[in-house]
Amino acid sequence: MDKAVGIQIEGLSKRYGAGEAAVDALREVNMNVAPGEVVGLIGPSGSGKTTLLKCLGAVVEPTSGRITLGGEVIYDNGWKISDLRVLRRDRIGFIFQAPYLIPFLDATDNVALLPMLAGRPNAEARARALELLQALGVAQRANAEISELSGGEQQRISIARALANRPPVILADEPTAPLDSDRGLSVVRILNQMASEYQTAIIVVTHDEKIIPTFKRIYNIRDGRTFEEAGEGRALQ
Amino acid sequence: MKISFNLPRWAWFSLLGIALLLAFAWVATTSGPLAPIKVTMTRVARGVVAPALFGIGTIEARRAYLIGPTVPGRVRSVLVDVGDSVKAGQLLAEMDPVDLDARVTSAAAATARAGSAVTTAEAQLDDAKSRQALAGSEARRFADLGRKGFVSQSVVDGKLQQQQSADAQIAAAESALVSTRQDLARQDADRVGAKQQRRNIRLEAPTDGVVTARDAEPGSTVVAGQAVLQLIDPASLWVKTRLDQSRSAGLRVGLPAEIRLRSNARELFAGKLVRIEPNSDSVTEERIAQVAFDRMPQGVSANEMADVTLHQPGVTDALILPNASLRFRGAQAGVWLRADGHLRFVPVKTGAEGLDGKVQIVEGLKAGDEVVVYSERELADDSRIKVVDAVAATAK
Amino acid sequence: MINLAGRDILHGWGKFVLTGLGLGLLIGVTFTMAGVYRGMVDDAKVLLNNSGADLWVVQKDTLGPYAESSSIPDDVYRDLLGLPGVAQAANVTYLNMQVRKGDTDVRATVVGFEPGQPGEPGYLAAGRRITRSHYEAVADVMTRFNVGDRIRIRRHDYTVVGLTRRMVSSGGDPMVFIPLKDAQEAQFLKDNDAIVNGRTRTAANPALNRPGVPGLLDAINVSQARNHNVNAVLVRVADGHSAEAVAQDIRHWKHLQAFTREQMDDILIAKMIGAHSEQIGIFLVILAIVSAAMVAFIIYTMTLGKIREIAVLKLIGTHNRTIAGLILQQALGLGLIGFVVGKLAATAWGPAFPKYVLLETGDAARGFVIVMVICAIASTLAIRAALKVDPATAIGG
Repeated sequence: MDKAVGIQIEGLSKRYGAGEAAVDALREVNMNVAPGEVVGLIGPSGSGKTTLLKCLGAVVEPTSGRITLGGEVIYDNGWKISDLRVLRRDRIGFIFQAPYLIPFLDATDNVALLPMLAGRPNAEARARALELLQALGVAQRANAEISELSGGEQQRISIARALANRPPVILADEPTAPLDSDRGLSVVRILNQMASEYQTAIIVVTHDEKIIPTFKRIYNIRDGRTFEEAGEGRALQ
Repeated sequence: MKISFNLPRWAWFSLLGIALLLAFAWVATTSGPLAPIKVTMTRVARGVVAPALFGIGTIEARRAYLIGPTVPGRVRSVLVDVGDSVKAGQLLAEMDPVDLDARVTSAAAATARAGSAVTTAEAQLDDAKSRQALAGSEARRFADLGRKGFVSQSVVDGKLQQQQSADAQIAAAESALVSTRQDLARQDADRVGAKQQRRNIRLEAPTDGVVTARDAEPGSTVVAGQAVLQLIDPASLWVKTRLDQSRSAGLRVGLPAEIRLRSNARELFAGKLVRIEPNSDSVTEERIAQVAFDRMPQGVSANEMADVTLHQPGVTDALILPNASLRFRGAQAGVWLRADGHLRFVPVKTGAEGLDGKVQIVEGLKAGDEVVVYSERELADDSRIKVVDAVAATAK
Repeated sequence: MINLAGRDILHGWGKFVLTGLGLGLLIGVTFTMAGVYRGMVDDAKVLLNNSGADLWVVQKDTLGPYAESSSIPDDVYRDLLGLPGVAQAANVTYLNMQVRKGDTDVRATVVGFEPGQPGEPGYLAAGRRITRSHYEAVADVMTRFNVGDRIRIRRHDYTVVGLTRRMVSSGGDPMVFIPLKDAQEAQFLKDNDAIVNGRTRTAANPALNRPGVPGLLDAINVSQARNHNVNAVLVRVADGHSAEAVAQDIRHWKHLQAFTREQMDDILIAKMIGAHSEQIGIFLVILAIVSAAMVAFIIYTMTLGKIREIAVLKLIGTHNRTIAGLILQQALGLGLIGFVVGKLAATAWGPAFPKYVLLETGDAARGFVIVMVICAIASTLAIRAALKVDPATAIGG
């Protein structure tokens, strides 16, 4: 495991509010995820896992600590990157609780949107999108309207979108929540595939009992503190 | 994957957008200020112009009579009423003689008295003549005696003087007789006059006719000249027609006329212009012409309104255009001529015009020229035009 | 980069177009109101143009013959013809009244004119010019009369022999042209009851009804029934003379007023239409505000419906300005559809209005700019809302 690439979090804290009403959502969180690794992040609601994702996603400013993504220090008691938007666009892939695809773009354009935002020409962006859709097994739905797609297809397309700019990091927030167990397991399989193929470090926030056994490493988070555990690492079909 | 005849959605919308823009452009160029002006055109042709003059008139009687007394008096009886036909000489009304009878009697008596005075004067003359004879013979006898010296000269002078006196009395009696004779003549004339006046209280119809007004009833007093009755000869009714001075060229006696009565608009009566009044009306700027009926229609009343159309001789083989194609620049009449693809205003001189709107072109155009008849708007030298069948929809 | 605004519109095109239609109808009403005002001004201009006159000679101290009533003797024109610089002078009368055709009647301005003189309609749209001296009429198409119709004006029936277009009074009433003498009678001759009453009153007056003068009463009655007044004399000025100079000459007559073309323009447009223009101006401002509010509301609602997508877009790295551009372009697109629909609608329903509606291209261009500006401003509300969206809300749901 090369600690210089992937995700590294050291002593990350986040306090909301001030004085007596202050809430410490994160207390000295430490995490490591290697490139190509898929780790689970498990905890009860209110434990701070959403806050951790928001800090990693550079949409919420932590109070203190250090975050290194893909070898680049993005936060060290203050943002070290001037344009967080570009960071999110190029270096982080997001997979949400729901697919959150753009309804007025078709499947290909939803995925191609990210390279286009990064300035790639449209043809190249669409080519890459098609590649990813193929890899995820939804290429035949490339021109479909989002409303015509099933939940599983949409989820796969959102995964493709997260991968479109080949970010070193992917943050997945309850990606199997809307899916049944089979679909859920297949999503996890895909994530593992993509992670190893593109050497992406992936954090999966979940409380889905069906997929937790698949992780090799799990971080437990309680009251803002993380505890590393070994997972079952059950093999997937 | 795109199927060949199923265009992508953006293509449909682009087509729709283009279609909308085209519709927009079409609207902008066919209506509103950018559009060409719609006109209809016609060619100058040869044809007949039937000019006619039109005027409105009132039915009047050629001769109307006001029947009334020559002296003020009181009406005693009116024997006819409005609408009655009367014959010439028929007694229509009588005035109250009042004192006229007494005056006639008095005049007769005065005449009689004057006659008696004449007789008296004649008798006196006879008497004077006899005295003159006596005085004459006495004077001769005494003159003879005087010469013989039987009487004194003074006695002779006395008798001479008596003779002269008797001569003078003859003269006086003669002149008195003449004077009474003159007086008789005067009184007789007065008597004749009084009788004449007595006859004048009889109001008689001067000719055959119809009574049109009864203006005084028995018992009312009228002044001299005031009409008691009005009379017209119904066969002499004609139409007093007024024609605009500016549109009465060619008015002459003998023009055939069509008369339409206001009370009987469906029928047209034939007539002829019989007289043009020498005095026109300068206030209303009209000429006055009298149009007689060829055959008198039934039930026509005086002062009724009528329309009169006088037909003038037609102009054949004239260049004609509808008068709607005439335009005016100031006082100059002209038309919009289309030649060599350009529109320009050509002044023209017009001749006869028919009541149907056809006007003769005397100068300015030739047969076959294309001119504008109706237009949507005022035309100018550089107007763009579009020839259509009709500018205004005339639904029938 | 694809155009997000275009995609969004294409995706929900039905709603967008319907909204555009609604906005378009509102804009169409606005154009029509402006067109009504322009139509009124054009009516006035057309009225002045069609008369063929350079000067209007009216009763002194009046603003007639259109703005106020004016009455002058009908022989004044002869004196005017004698003035230097006067090429043509003709009597005209104007009277607003109901003209009957069968069972219906139409409000029209009856114009009395002399053929070949100023006051006669210059061009026809159908039929022919008047050839008889009485009882023929030429009517404007807006009266809905046809050639051949019999119409009744006061006591007489007239035959419509010709039709005109755009011959309207300053109030927008269509004109009906009849010979001057008929028009004088129509305007000044009283109805039968009044005439009979007048005759009775004259007969009761011993000064007028003298027994010793037969025929006096009749002569007085006839003279009272005659009328010799007109409303104005239209003067055409000879080439080489200035209209104002001739007008000054005429004004020196103590009992006449003369107006040039510019002065009549001012009277009609500034004075008669002035009040209308203020009303319409206020109405237009209100319509603009309503349109702006409508666009703002619609765009805001459309944006609110996309809050989640906007959060996601922001999270995955879309520029704020791209998102603002999305909203602005939608607002402008809405404005464009509204403008096109509005312009087409105003053109389509304009002729159905009883008065003339004139839609000028200048007004359309100005309208386009104003619509775009209003839409841009109206979109700022939604843009502010969109910019305030926190991308973090995409995470955690």
